[in-house]
Amino acid sequence: MYELLLDGIQNLLQLKYFVPLAIGTLIGVVGGAMPGITNTMTVIMVLPFTFGLEPLQGLAAMIGVYIGGESGGLITSCLLGIPGKPSSVATMFDGYPMARKGEPGRALWLGIWASFFGGLLGGLFLVGTTGPLASIALAFGPWEYFALFVFALSMVAGLTGASISKGLLSGAIGLVITVIGNDPVMGQPRLTLGIAWLEGGIPFLPVLIGVFAFSQIMSDVEKMGRARHDPARQFVVPRLVVSHVKVIWEILSRPVMLLWTSFVGVLIGVLPAIGGSAANVMAYDQAKKFSKHPERFGTGTPEGIIASEAANNSNVGGSLVTIMAFGIPGDAVTAVMLGALTIHGIQPGPLFISQEPKLAYGIFAAYFLGHLVMIAIMFLGVRWFLRIVLVPKSILFPVILVLCVVGAYALNNTMANVYVLLLCGVLGYALVKGGLPLAPLILGVILGDQIEINLVRSLMTDNNLWLFLTRPISGLLLGASVASVAFALWQHRRAQKKGAVQEDGADF
Amino acid sequence: MRLSKDGWTGLAVLAASLILFGLTLGLRDNPLVPIGPGFYPRIVLGISAVLALALIVFSLVGRRSEKKSDANLGLVVAVFAIFFAYVGALPYLGFRIATFLFVPALQVTLEFPRTPKGWAVVAATALVTTVVSYVLFERYLQVLLPRGRWTDF
Repeated sequence: MYELLLDGIQNLLQLKYFVPLAIGTLIGVVGGAMPGITNTMTVIMVLPFTFGLEPLQGLAAMIGVYIGGESGGLITSCLLGIPGKPSSVATMFDGYPMARKGEPGRALWLGIWASFFGGLLGGLFLVGTTGPLASIALAFGPWEYFALFVFALSMVAGLTGASISKGLLSGAIGLVITVIGNDPVMGQPRLTLGIAWLEGGIPFLPVLIGVFAFSQIMSDVEKMGRARHDPARQFVVPRLVVSHVKVIWEILSRPVMLLWTSFVGVLIGVLPAIGGSAANVMAYDQAKKFSKHPERFGTGTPEGIIASEAANNSNVGGSLVTIMAFGIPGDAVTAVMLGALTIHGIQPGPLFISQEPKLAYGIFAAYFLGHLVMIAIMFLGVRWFLRIVLVPKSILFPVILVLCVVGAYALNNTMANVYVLLLCGVLGYALVKGGLPLAPLILGVILGDQIEINLVRSLMTDNNLWLFLTRPISGLLLGASVASVAFALWQHRRAQKKGAVQEDGADF
Repeated sequence: MRLSKDGWTGLAVLAASLILFGLTLGLRDNPLVPIGPGFYPRIVLGISAVLALALIVFSLVGRRSEKKSDANLGLVVAVFAIFFAYVGALPYLGFRIATFLFVPALQVTLEFPRTPKGWAVVAATALVTTVVSYVLFERYLQVLLPRGRWTDF
């Protein structure tokens, strides 16, 4: 396994792979640092550029974006007190106070190095568990796959947002989108309303791009022309010089906390749609609970920065595990990666690691090298990124929308996908305004076809419905689906009693 | 009884689910295949209809705590309208002309330039976005961007 990883690293060190990785990481850091530009948005922008590349080149670029984005968010969190993205919120709790106390370099580099070490620990988990998990999944029949996908969907629907009924409804809408087009058995058109370009079905990438790009852009557009005060515009870049040996020692001298919070990040990454932001906050919370001085949290304590940043980068490793072992995206970024792979005719899932070892170990290698590249980029350009984040949204948004159109159009060079993008943009915004979470919808769109195919396949093999419950893994997964919804209901009730129901906490 | 925002959302989804469910009844089963094309869509649409109904019921019986929104919805509508126009114009004007018009139109809508420098930034952004995206995608990434039916450009 580790020989293959070394081969992968050697392979990835070739310029043709390393350059996309480095550019992707740079774009990720810049995108991550820009408040309001999420990792999903950044990876969507990069997506069309990957169509003309080899699969590994494209994936290296996307993994770079992912890693860079998770780390880039801490720049503005620590120095401006504005989280670059949701997964840097908890970093701000201690990073910004530390910077305000006159230690901006220490705050920033504690976060960067914690991201690096957390990311490496997540990488070890990724390499160590993907293969074994994939071999378990190889024993799955259509009953188990059906149950697994239903479990993933029910978890996302239950754990995102304030209302379980809204989460489940959003997932169901996603499934409805996938039944439009030809049926998978006989190829008979369904629910196409006579529109020719719907006969081929609705590909999930334009749906994903439309739903996310518009819901995020429009949320910002809604606020434009209202806020007058922008602290970023009056910001003066401080001196960021620091002793890296001291900073690294500060992190490594807390091995238990680093390991535990990285594990929390990985675990959350494995769960579909509960990504970096939950990892960031939960790890912070864990570090505070286990600390001898919890009262210091929020005042600029290094533990707060280390825990939150280690977790959001190790979370990337966890997200990659589920997509590589099961073909289920852990979050929106891996959903876009899944789309990029399918464009190249590669289907992630249990067979992926054995059928595409070069690509699989290339992904692992890109993950590890991406963290080194991220450190190098931070060394060279952290001061400049603070300038770039001042680019007005009025310039950024048109460019992003043009790239969204190119991304949708380039999928198969037809306007049909651009129309889907447009319709889904309106749908996504309408759903957000209606209070429905987007994560279950997207997972529904991604898994819908597979759920149908496996349901039909299992029933055509044996029409005994009890098999879904009597086959051990399938029964266990369906039981877990019910349990996850029940848990979400219980959690929701508890939160309601406390009066602390949150709207949408998903990373999709 | 007045419906809340959730109630209206539920009602819209319920109506769409029922209409689509009705359409699945017109799908004909194939005698060679035990499971027809309408089997799975009916399950999914049935589930979405039930969930939408649940949302309506919850919104009617639950507590109502809707905050008044101060969102700039006029600007949102304007951005959607410009994007609709852009997508509509793409097959007729082609990527280069449509993009060159779309980018400044949206920029000016989002933040009206008040100085000559501001206008220069708008023009430069439009030009750079159009040229760079065209050259990069068409020349280097083998992505064929839309040509205009009217302009052949």
